[in-house]
Amino acid sequence: MTRRASLRVIAVLLIGLVVTLGALPTSPVAAAYQRISGEGSSWAANAIDAMRVNVRQFGITVDYNPSGSTSGRKNFLNGTVDFAASDIPFQFHPEDGSAPENPAPDSYAYIPVVAGGTSFMYNLKINGKRVTNLRLSGQNVAKIFTGVVKMWNDPAIQADNPGLVMPARAVVPVVRSDGSGSSAQFTKWMISRFPSIWTTYCQKSGRAPACGFTSFYPTIPGMISQSGDLGIAGYVSQGFAEGAIGYVNYSYALGSQFPVAKVLNAAGFYTAPTPQNVAVSLLKAKINTDASNPEVYLTQNLDGVYTDTDPRNYQLSSYSYLIVPTKVAGQFNLAKGETLGAFAYYAMCQAQQQSESLGYSPMPINLVQASFDQIRKIPGVVVQNIDIKQCKNPTFSTDGTNTVAKTAAQPLACDKQGGVTQCPNGTGGMSNVPTAVKPGAPTGGGATTTLPVRSSGGGGGGATTTVVRGDTGGSTPTGGTTPTGGTTPTGGTTLDGGSTVDTTPGAVGGDGSSGDGSSGDGSQQGGDGATAGVVVGDAMPTTLSQSHASLPLVLLVVVLTLSLILAPAFAWRYFTNRRTT
Amino acid sequence: MLDTTTLPDLGETAAPDGGPAPRPLKARRNRGDRIFFGGVTLSGLVVLSIMVAVGLFLAIQASQALRSTGLSFLTTSEWQPDRGKFGIASVLLGTVLIALVAVSIALPISMATALFITEVAPTWLRSSLVALVDLMAAVPSVVYGLWGLFLLEGQLIPVSRWVNTFFGWLPFFKVVGADPNSPLSSASVYTASAFIAGVVVAMMVMPIQCVVMREVFSQVPVGEREGAFALGSTRWGMVRVVSIPFGRGGIIGGTMLGLGRALGETIAVLLIISPRFDINFHVLEAGGNSVSSLIALRYSEASGFGLSALMAAGLALFAVTLVVNFTASWFVARSRSGAGSEA
Repeated sequence: MTRRASLRVIAVLLIGLVVTLGALPTSPVAAAYQRISGEGSSWAANAIDAMRVNVRQFGITVDYNPSGSTSGRKNFLNGTVDFAASDIPFQFHPEDGSAPENPAPDSYAYIPVVAGGTSFMYNLKINGKRVTNLRLSGQNVAKIFTGVVKMWNDPAIQADNPGLVMPARAVVPVVRSDGSGSSAQFTKWMISRFPSIWTTYCQKSGRAPACGFTSFYPTIPGMISQSGDLGIAGYVSQGFAEGAIGYVNYSYALGSQFPVAKVLNAAGFYTAPTPQNVAVSLLKAKINTDASNPEVYLTQNLDGVYTDTDPRNYQLSSYSYLIVPTKVAGQFNLAKGETLGAFAYYAMCQAQQQSESLGYSPMPINLVQASFDQIRKIPGVVVQNIDIKQCKNPTFSTDGTNTVAKTAAQPLACDKQGGVTQCPNGTGGMSNVPTAVKPGAPTGGGATTTLPVRSSGGGGGGATTTVVRGDTGGSTPTGGTTPTGGTTPTGGTTLDGGSTVDTTPGAVGGDGSSGDGSSGDGSQQGGDGATAGVVVGDAMPTTLSQSHASLPLVLLVVVLTLSLILAPAFAWRYFTNRRTT
Repeated sequence: MLDTTTLPDLGETAAPDGGPAPRPLKARRNRGDRIFFGGVTLSGLVVLSIMVAVGLFLAIQASQALRSTGLSFLTTSEWQPDRGKFGIASVLLGTVLIALVAVSIALPISMATALFITEVAPTWLRSSLVALVDLMAAVPSVVYGLWGLFLLEGQLIPVSRWVNTFFGWLPFFKVVGADPNSPLSSASVYTASAFIAGVVVAMMVMPIQCVVMREVFSQVPVGEREGAFALGSTRWGMVRVVSIPFGRGGIIGGTMLGLGRALGETIAVLLIISPRFDINFHVLEAGGNSVSSLIALRYSEASGFGLSALMAAGLALFAVTLVVNFTASWFVARSRSGAGSEA
C-alpha cells in the first residue's frame, strides 16, 4: 500500500467517523405518530416548547415555530400548519384596520393551554447596580410605552419608587415588530384603562383613526421594535440596553434572569406577574361558556381582571390558546389528528405540573375539563378517559377551587402604594437579588440628583439594613463586602432565599446620607436630603444574560476552528507538493 | 479572448469596420457538438426565462396593490397595506443606506485582502487565506445575524458614539436623542441602526467581492509586474501602477456584485434592525428598514392584499437590483480587466 493510498483510507475513515457521530443523536424512537407542526404565540412558546420536548418520549414529534400569534393564525387559515397557538382569538372585526380573518365556521376549536402574565422586563441600573424592585403604576406603564414619559427620573416614576433615586436616563420602550398577541393584550389593557393616553398616542403614530387594540404595535422614533418575545428579551438584556423596558411573557424574564416591573393594581398594591398572582387574577376572567358558538367558546374577557381589587391581582394576566382544526382539510389528516389529540391531552394534563417552574400559571380545573371536551372535536383523536386527579395539576383541589390562587401569598405591606419606601425584594429572574432602598421621605426636592456624590456620614440613629450578597462575581471595585446604608422600615428583612440580609443597628444621617464609607465603590448617594442612601451593597454580576465561557473552552473552540480551517489548506498543499515533486 | 472563432450561427459575424467581409465559414457539427450546443443554449434560455418569470410573477402579484395606490407607492413611507396606506419610500431608502454602508466598509477590506493574497502573502499561506475567505462566504447569514446582534452590536456602539460625537455635524451622522456630554445618556439610540446592520452585511459581502478581485489581480501579466520591478518600483508602486489599473474592471464588478447581495440581504438585517417607517437618513440612529427584511417580517402574517403589497415591494427591489447589476456589467464591459494595459 502506498503512502497516498493509506492516507486516503485514513481520510475515508475519518469522514465515516464524523458522519456516524453526527448521526448518533438523531436516532429517535420509532415514531408511531405522524409528525405535526404548529406555529404562533411566542408569549406561550416556552410552555409549548417544554411540552413538545416532553412528548418526544412517547414518540410524538411536534414542530413549533414561535413566530407570533398573528402569523400562527394566518398560517392556520392557509392550512400550512396543523395547529396554531394564539393569545387572542380570530379577529373577525379587527379594530386596527387590518384585514379581517375569516375561518370557516366549525372548522376550529379553542383550547386554553397556558396562563401567564405579560410582564415588563427592564434593564436599569442605579450607580452601576442593577435595580430589581422597580414599581410602576398602570398609568406610567401606559405613558412609557406611548413615549409620554421619556426619562426614568420622571416625577411620576419617582413617585412610584420612593425607595429609589431614579437615574436621569432615557426610557427606551422595546415593543414587538411582528404581529403579536402580547401587543394585542397590552393595547387592549391600555385602551380599557387609559383610553386618552392611547388615543393621543395612536394619533401621534399615524395609526388614527383605527385606534382599537392591535397586534401591530404602532411605533414612534425613539422606540425599538424587535421580533418575538425572544427578540425583546434579547434586546433588553444586552449590556448596552440600559434604560430599556419591554413587554414579554414572565417566563422570558426568568429565562434571561432579568427583573420585571411590579405593576400597581386596583387594590393599591404593586404586584409581580408570578404564577400565583396570575392564578388569582384570572379568577376574575370571564370565560365564554357558550359551547354552541365555537367562534367565542372559551374565549376570555379580561375586563374583570383589570379592575379586580384582590391585593394579589396582576392586571396583565391572560390565557393563551391552542387553535386546533375540527375538520380534515388540506394537509391535516386523521393520522395527524391522532398526534395532535395526544399532544393536546398531554398539554392539558401532565404538562400543567411544570407550568409554575417555567413562569406560567397552571390551568384551573374548569378549563381543563372544557378543554378535554374540545380535544374530542379533533378528527382522528383517540379519546382518552383521563381521571383528572391523576394530572397532578397544582391548581386542583377537592372542593373545586383553584389551589394555586387560594394559597397565593398576600403582597407585602411595603408593596402598598403610598408608603414611605418600597420592598427591596427582587422580581422575575432576579427574585433572589434584592435592591436596597432608602429610608423614606417620598420624593423630595432632591429627587433629581443622580450622579453619585460621596458624602460624609451624618449623625442620628436608626436601623440600617445592610444587604450583602455572598457571591463575589461581577464588578465590585473594592472587592469583598460593601456595607452601606439604607433602611427599610417595613419589608426589609423579608427577602427570599439566596441572599443574606443582615440587619444591623447603624447610623443613618438625619439628612439621609449614610455614613459608612465603603471605600470608593461610588455607590453612595449624597447630595441633599431625601435622595441619599440609595445604596446597594451588592456585587451584581454585570452580564447576567451572557454565560461566561471558561478559558479552556474558548481555547478549545479557537483551536478546533483554526484547525478545521487550516487543515484542508495544508492538506491540499501537501498533496500538490507531492504530485509536483 | 478567442472571439475570432465564433460560428456564424451564433449571430456574431462582426466584421471589422472597413475591411472586406470575411469569408463565410460553414462548420458541420457532429452529434456531440449539437448536443453540447443545444445543452448550453437551453441552460442559457432557462436562466433568462427564470429571470423573466420572476419579474412577471412579481408584477402580476403586485398589480392589485399597485393599482390601488398608483404612484404614491413610491412616495408613501408608511406600511399599513390593509388600510391602503403603504409605500416603499422609507423602506427602499433604508435598503439603499444599509447597502451603501456595507459596500463602503467591505470595499477597502476586500480589496486589501485580495491584494494581500495575490501580492504579499507567502505562497504557503495563500491557500489557507483563500480557504478562509471562502469559508466566510459559506457561513449562513443567520449566523452572521446572531453574531452581529449579540456580539458586534455592543462592540460597535462606541464606534457609533465616536463618529456621532465628532462628525455629528454631518447630517448623515446625526443621531436624534444622543447626548455625548451626558454619561447617563442611553446607548440605545445607537443600536439596531442601519450602520450596525450595514457592518454585518459588509462581512457577508466582503468574501464575494474579494473572490472577484483576487481572481482579477492574479491575472495581472507577469511581464508587466516584472517590468515595474525592473524599473525600480517598490511593491506598493507596482500594485498602484500595474495591479490596480489592470484590475479596475474586476474591482468595480466585484463591488457591484457585493452591492447586489447587500441590497437583498434579509435575515441578518431582520435580526438586527428595529423596523421604522419614516424617512430617516441618519445611519447611526436606532431603527431602519429594508425591503427584504420587511417581506420576511410580514409575509407570514399578511392578508391577501398585504401580500400583494409585499410583492410590490419585492418588485421594486428586483428592479433596483437589476439596475445595479446592469450598471455593473456595463462598467465591467467598458473597462474590461487589462484593457488598459493590453493596449
